[in-house]
Amino acid sequence: MGVILDSVSFAIDGQAILSTVSARIPDGAVVGLLGPNGAGKSTLLRLIAGIEAPDAGTIRVGDSDVAALPRRDAARLIALLEQNASPGVDLSVEQVVLLGRIPHRTGVLGSFGGPDDQRVAAEALASVGAESLADRAWHTLSGGQQQRVQIARALAQQPALLLLDEPTNHLDVSAQLSLMSLVRHQVGPAGLTAIAALHDLNLAAAYCDHVLLLNAGRLVAAGPPREVLQPSTISDVYGVEADVIPHPRDGHPVIVFSEPAAYFPSPFPARAAKSSLRPPDTDSMTARASRTEDET
Amino acid sequence: MRQRRNARRAGYAGWLAGAIGGLLVACAVAVTIGPADVSLAEVVASITTHLGLPGGEVDVLTDSIVWQLRLPRVLTAAAVGAGLALSGAVMQSITRNPLADPYLLGLSSGASLGAVCVVILGLSFALPAAAFLGALAALFATLSIARVGGAITPARAVLSGLAIAQLAAAGTSFIIFWSAKGDSYREILNWLLGSVAGATWTSVAVSASALLLVGTFIVLAATRLDAFAFGDTAAASLGVNVNATRWALLGGVALLTGAMVSVSGAIGFVGLILPHLVRGLVGPGHRRLLPLVAVMGAIFLVTADTVARTLFDPRELPVGIITAFIGVPVFILLIKRMRGSAWA
Amino acid sequence: MTRRHFAALTATAASVLLLAACAAPAATPPAGPAAGAAKHGATAGYPIELDNCGTTVTVPAPPRRIVTIKSSTTELLLALGLSDRIVGTAFLDGPLPEELADEGASLNVISDFLPGQEAVLGLAPDFIYGGWESNFTADGVGERDALAALNIRTYVSPAACKGEGYVPDPLTFDTVFAEIQEAGAIFGVQDAAAELVADQRASLDALVPVTGAPTALWYSSGTDSPYVGAGIGSPAMIMDAAGLTNIFADVHDTWSSVGWESIVAADPHVIVLVDATWNTAASKMATLESNPATRELTAVKNKRYIVLPFAATEAGIRNVEATASVIDQLAALDQD
Repeated sequence: MGVILDSVSFAIDGQAILSTVSARIPDGAVVGLLGPNGAGKSTLLRLIAGIEAPDAGTIRVGDSDVAALPRRDAARLIALLEQNASPGVDLSVEQVVLLGRIPHRTGVLGSFGGPDDQRVAAEALASVGAESLADRAWHTLSGGQQQRVQIARALAQQPALLLLDEPTNHLDVSAQLSLMSLVRHQVGPAGLTAIAALHDLNLAAAYCDHVLLLNAGRLVAAGPPREVLQPSTISDVYGVEADVIPHPRDGHPVIVFSEPAAYFPSPFPARAAKSSLRPPDTDSMTARASRTEDET
Repeated sequence: MRQRRNARRAGYAGWLAGAIGGLLVACAVAVTIGPADVSLAEVVASITTHLGLPGGEVDVLTDSIVWQLRLPRVLTAAAVGAGLALSGAVMQSITRNPLADPYLLGLSSGASLGAVCVVILGLSFALPAAAFLGALAALFATLSIARVGGAITPARAVLSGLAIAQLAAAGTSFIIFWSAKGDSYREILNWLLGSVAGATWTSVAVSASALLLVGTFIVLAATRLDAFAFGDTAAASLGVNVNATRWALLGGVALLTGAMVSVSGAIGFVGLILPHLVRGLVGPGHRRLLPLVAVMGAIFLVTADTVARTLFDPRELPVGIITAFIGVPVFILLIKRMRGSAWA
Repeated sequence: MTRRHFAALTATAASVLLLAACAAPAATPPAGPAAGAAKHGATAGYPIELDNCGTTVTVPAPPRRIVTIKSSTTELLLALGLSDRIVGTAFLDGPLPEELADEGASLNVISDFLPGQEAVLGLAPDFIYGGWESNFTADGVGERDALAALNIRTYVSPAACKGEGYVPDPLTFDTVFAEIQEAGAIFGVQDAAAELVADQRASLDALVPVTGAPTALWYSSGTDSPYVGAGIGSPAMIMDAAGLTNIFADVHDTWSSVGWESIVAADPHVIVLVDATWNTAASKMATLESNPATRELTAVKNKRYIVLPFAATEAGIRNVEATASVIDQLAALDQD
């Protein structure tokens, strides 16, 4: 389901977190929400989920204004996964996934579940490839497995929009890739849209159809990764030097980073033209660097 | 998976049925034993007479012992045990703290302060009301303090509860120190340690109705409690109105605990230990935990009270001493077992 | 730690030490009986050394500045004619009996509760006579050793001793009379003591205990868990001498906390109620009559109550009078 952000602003205690963010998120896309720490990514996700209401502007998911939706209806539409692993959770994997069925329960205070709760939960677990973990205690799983189960819980909500807040934090490379791949596969055909706040620009470049780049609460760029993730933009927002090269296997953009000019003098070769703080020219690496520069 | 699920359902049903049976047995035993020599036949006769059913005759005093002393005491112990265990389970989930108990937010200290005030003033008959009001006043103070400086988080509520509890305890100690003469110490001590010795049919009415009303509400909110497992944001994203639910549950716990404390004083360990024990048996899902913890809490307190009044016959101990003596070793065992659990 | 903190800490420590040093010799009692005795020559029969509740007490001369705690001790000294030697009294349990009202008219009552050490030391006593062992604690009148170091003799009513081997087991009138005689020796009024004991003994012997050994409950306090007279204390002694059968005679304690059930099961013939200002006989009657179990007791239905003032029930000179009162009240009840 598509999402439309219209001049969304939000402040806490007078401190502006988001300022007039407007964007249009296409239906069925994997969208990356990027930006440095403090840019407002988590806050924006919470606003889209309807957990907080924006101070100004509207957020529409499909046809509905999220802030106006009753809590339960919002939960049937949107699933949000937070970034922090919760210590001290004593549930089994199956019980964790069943939590996702809570928005669909009826009766006084949600006491009665639907007859298909178990079925949906089982399907969700299967779709993330974790059926074999159903009876395990959640806290005994590895980080990657726990995230998969959390995604299964979100899927059990049968949402139209999946929001993920830095889902790949604390995961090893393999787990990161398989998680993003999993999200990619869930999205699209079923009408599910996913928005993931990501730290890793390369993951965004590899898996997202569309990225939104936030900086200090403002949306500075939106569009396909190839367009947004330009070296100058990255340099402005993240304060590091970047080069974009095509991936050797399938050509999607890969971003490589270098330190900016203003850092301390370093023994490693800096871009000579931009560095005025050149180290003494006795090191062979430096000598090699000078030779490379001479060649370009 | 279906087979396993059915097996687990049967397992739970077995536990619940067994527990209910155990409770009936515990109550029956408790009503039959005591310092006075009352035979089972006399017990049955007394009960059937009062229920208007045909049965044997029994003399006034024996009837009085069974119907006015033992039965209310056993029923009150059962209701209080169930209520405290239920409150403890909810508090542990809401504050996500395995050491939480029903008295965490200053409830028992406030109740003690209220109770001690009326005892010293010689108004012992007003004790239940004063205790209840004291509990609510302490809760109000706790939440007011917790609110200073922002939204109330579980951590803040716990900390201010500790502060209020200390304050109320100091107040109680002061009053005792300042004005207790002769043996009024003992009456206060009995209350502070918790005792169902003075249970009457009014106590049964108060504790049972509190249990029924608030307990039902809590049990129905079981899935909402489950939603809190991953924190507030997760609960909100699952469609639970976090603040309203939390306030409603806290309010319920306050009412339930306040009612119980007003009837029996601050009996310790029931609310702390029973939830852990039952979680070890049927897992942390609240739909299974809550009903079973209530029944087990009832069994625990009925048994503890029976021990308290028969161990040193005819001397009686406050039941709070027995719950601690039983509770602490059980707790140690639980901690050892907890090595594999998420909270260890 | 920063320099500023360190300096503050040192200053605080220094001032604390200084204060402690100053405080220590502050409470020096005035030249007391020892000096007096030296001036007039040693008094006959002194010094007296005795073992009181496990503490050795050495009395060099008749105490002249006595502080009494609790009614039993105060009344004893008044009865021995020592009112002019009492410099202060505290923690009384009730008004003085009529016969001692004149003697005690000018008593200096320093507190209705247990006074603190300083208040007592301010009276410059040389002897403190406590009715309960617990009177001599650090937050009470002071620990016995500490007071002894200040040349203040302390004495606990032997009937109230709690230590192993010192608890009277059971308490008898002989114990009570022995205390009167010991007091006579300590205070140098042996004749008055002997006379008092003779009077008491005569009165006691003259009593005619009730016949039939009716069962009785001694109800002291407590609503949920009644606190009752048990087998070896003054309640037992008084009930025994009056000819009553204490339903808790086989509980080996002075008083005990029991359940209503045992009382209802025993259905005592009469109930003795202790009347204290903090826990009146009237309130106990109300408790008995409102409790659905106890209101069926024979004694409650027929209002067969005996009331005794609290002060008369502690081991002391009023126990004989209390026993007599029990017998008289029971006779009056039986007449109805």
